[in-house]
Amino acid sequence: MDELLTGRDNLEIMGRLYHLRGRHAAARADEMLARFRLTEAAERLVKTYSGGMRRRLDLAASLLVEPRVLFLDEPTTGLDPIARADVWQAVRDLVATGTTVLLTTQYLEEADQLADSIVVIDRGRVAASGTPGELKRRVGSGRVSLVVVDEADAIAVAVAVESVLGVLPRITGRTVRADAPAGVDSLGALIAELRRRDIAVEDIGLHRPSLDEVFGHLTRRPLPYTPNRTVPAGARHRRVR
Amino acid sequence: MSTAPVFDGMFGEPADAPARAPRRYGLVEADSRMQLVRFGLADAYNLTRRYVLRARHQPDVIVGTLLLPIIFVVLFGYVFGSSISVGGGHYRAFLMSGLFAQTQMYAAGSVAVAVSTDMSEGVIDRFKAMPILRASVLIGRTASALIVGLPAFVIMIGCALMVGWRPHAGIGNAVAGFALLMLFGQACAWLGAYIGVLARSTQAAETLAMLPTFLLGFVSNVFVDTSRLPSWLRVMANWNPLSALVAASRKLFGNEAGPAPSGVWTLQHPIVASLLLSVLMLGLFVPLALRRYEGVGR
Repeated sequence: MDELLTGRDNLEIMGRLYHLRGRHAAARADEMLARFRLTEAAERLVKTYSGGMRRRLDLAASLLVEPRVLFLDEPTTGLDPIARADVWQAVRDLVATGTTVLLTTQYLEEADQLADSIVVIDRGRVAASGTPGELKRRVGSGRVSLVVVDEADAIAVAVAVESVLGVLPRITGRTVRADAPAGVDSLGALIAELRRRDIAVEDIGLHRPSLDEVFGHLTRRPLPYTPNRTVPAGARHRRVR
Repeated sequence: MSTAPVFDGMFGEPADAPARAPRRYGLVEADSRMQLVRFGLADAYNLTRRYVLRARHQPDVIVGTLLLPIIFVVLFGYVFGSSISVGGGHYRAFLMSGLFAQTQMYAAGSVAVAVSTDMSEGVIDRFKAMPILRASVLIGRTASALIVGLPAFVIMIGCALMVGWRPHAGIGNAVAGFALLMLFGQACAWLGAYIGVLARSTQAAETLAMLPTFLLGFVSNVFVDTSRLPSWLRVMANWNPLSALVAASRKLFGNEAGPAPSGVWTLQHPIVASLLLSVLMLGLFVPLALRRYEGVGR
């Protein structure tokens, strides 16, 4: 986008370059400004725009004539969370009107939020592809985490968890975590067991694996904070080699 | 971020593609040769308009446009004029054609910088992905240089009139003189466009364009009567293409310049020579710049 033009001038000239007739180019520019919440800033020079506003203007320019397929190369890199949510919403709206969006991103949460189909590329090669759900199932169904009221109860909770799930939980302060291969069923069984043993917990939750973990799993480079996937020191050395 | 829209038919639609809802703002495609030509002209016009519009928001350009002609006329007309005398007598009348020509030549520098800045920014990639006439980016840059330079030229003519310069050879010749100057300005703008697409950086473009224009501007008949220069410099100044243009405009404006040096064809037939030079430069640098532009970024 041209920094030395106003948002409206930028869009109008782009519209004319797409051979919309003058009247249509102006109307379409106004329509896109409104859609991307830029109407108030329409008469300001783009150099005064924030990063998020520029990104939205850029998107608006790409959508002046309605494309069937739109490539977006890391559209939210460097944006604050609100601006990111704006761009996400714009992409969802587009998809809803029938445009195919091919989007690249480093943020796996973004892929999780937006994509119907994901291709994971690692070092230039396709590591895996599928829906977010399919990819997540590859690393198991999830894990439970419990927060106890009193740190002294953590061991008792861990014992209960082990008796139900059959895996060794990990304790970090007041939090107890464990793999839960059976998903929601494990959660139900666990709650029943805790009630039977009369142990109070402050919070209990089932977490499906995030795509970050999927990426670590697929590329054989487990993320350092991945719980319950402890890598023996020797094994790690072998991988590094 | 970079974005690139893809349009219907760009990759070919599969035969069994499902019917889609009609779009209000689909891509308009030319359906005849005439319309293709119209689109090309419209593209060039719209990009020219874009560059003219953005010039309004560049204070340095505005200040340069308004002040530089005044500074030039006052600085050279009075500072040099106080100690330089020329054959014709009236130095400032002698000087003005030189300043007109020199100003036109500076289009090369400003276009070179502008084009190389364009090349280093993502906007070119976007234009290249759009269904527009490829040449229109460079046409827009060179044409807008002419348009943005027009007020400066008018102000300079006003200053010239104020310090005593007059076109003495009739209105027709005067108009021809200005037209010749502007034609040369366009030729220089295309030279600048070529330098701009060639240069690896904006600084390089500036140096590449400014060095020759600076040399040509001063080793010439712009400020002095070349007959008084030392012989080795006189040869350079006489055969300097800018000197031919200056001599041509002095002739068309009817300003006294003394006899043309013998044996220098370009100064004896300055109008034909500078016309030929401008056409030659356009014939050379328009295709060179466009071809180089096509190749950049591939």
